[in-house]
Amino acid sequence: MIKILVNRTQPSKAEIAKRQDFNYILSALPKKNLLYSPWFYGAMGFSSLAGLFYFIAAYS
Amino acid sequence: MILIERAKQNPAHFAPLYKKYHDAIFRYVFKRVDEEEAAYDITSCVFVKAIINLPKYEYRGVPFSSWLFRIAKSELYQSFRDKKAKRTISIDSVQIGRVMEEFSIDENEHKREILLKVLPLLKDKQLQLIEMRFFEKRSFREMGEILELTENNAKVKTFRALIKLKALYAQHNPLK
Repeated sequence: MIKILVNRTQPSKAEIAKRQDFNYILSALPKKNLLYSPWFYGAMGFSSLAGLFYFIAAYS
Repeated sequence: MILIERAKQNPAHFAPLYKKYHDAIFRYVFKRVDEEEAAYDITSCVFVKAIINLPKYEYRGVPFSSWLFRIAKSELYQSFRDKKAKRTISIDSVQIGRVMEEFSIDENEHKREILLKVLPLLKDKQLQLIEMRFFEKRSFREMGEILELTENNAKVKTFRALIKLKALYAQHNPLK
């Protein structure tokens, strides 16, 4: 059953402002996964190619 | 719009938008939940979700504030489903008077009690419309933006909700 509150006391503007915490909002954001970063794929791709060329050069 | 574009690049730049809209979002949530602490928690979740989804936000006629209210609405219903908060209607005497006036009935203690008894009997979507229009004095345009309806549709649905409320009131009023 839905509750009905008549003439409920509302917190003041100052009270609400006091509860603002933007740092908490930033800390609650999900951390970026390195696996989805283009930097990760760039670095992995580059090192794989470098390794491949090294083996080709070393054994040919 | 500049603030939004900057915030899309870096979440830390969302701070001015958070400061600007925190009060309005909190009050929207507070009126619909029974506990103040739950309202603060839900408000925080709204802004976390807003920052996460900000890259998807594009201005297509819907103001940024209405976009935030949409997130607040969905977060509220998620909290009700998770039983983290209880659906509540916060109403004051002036707002009760406004609805009575719409019904063209004289206000007295007995009639007020009947109205308060029948309000929760409305379907939730109808209740949302009554809350927004008569308790929060929102325009049909804004209501449409928040509820993802056209302005005209919001008007028609509010009118139907009012008729339903009137019928429920008549059913429960022994002194017709």
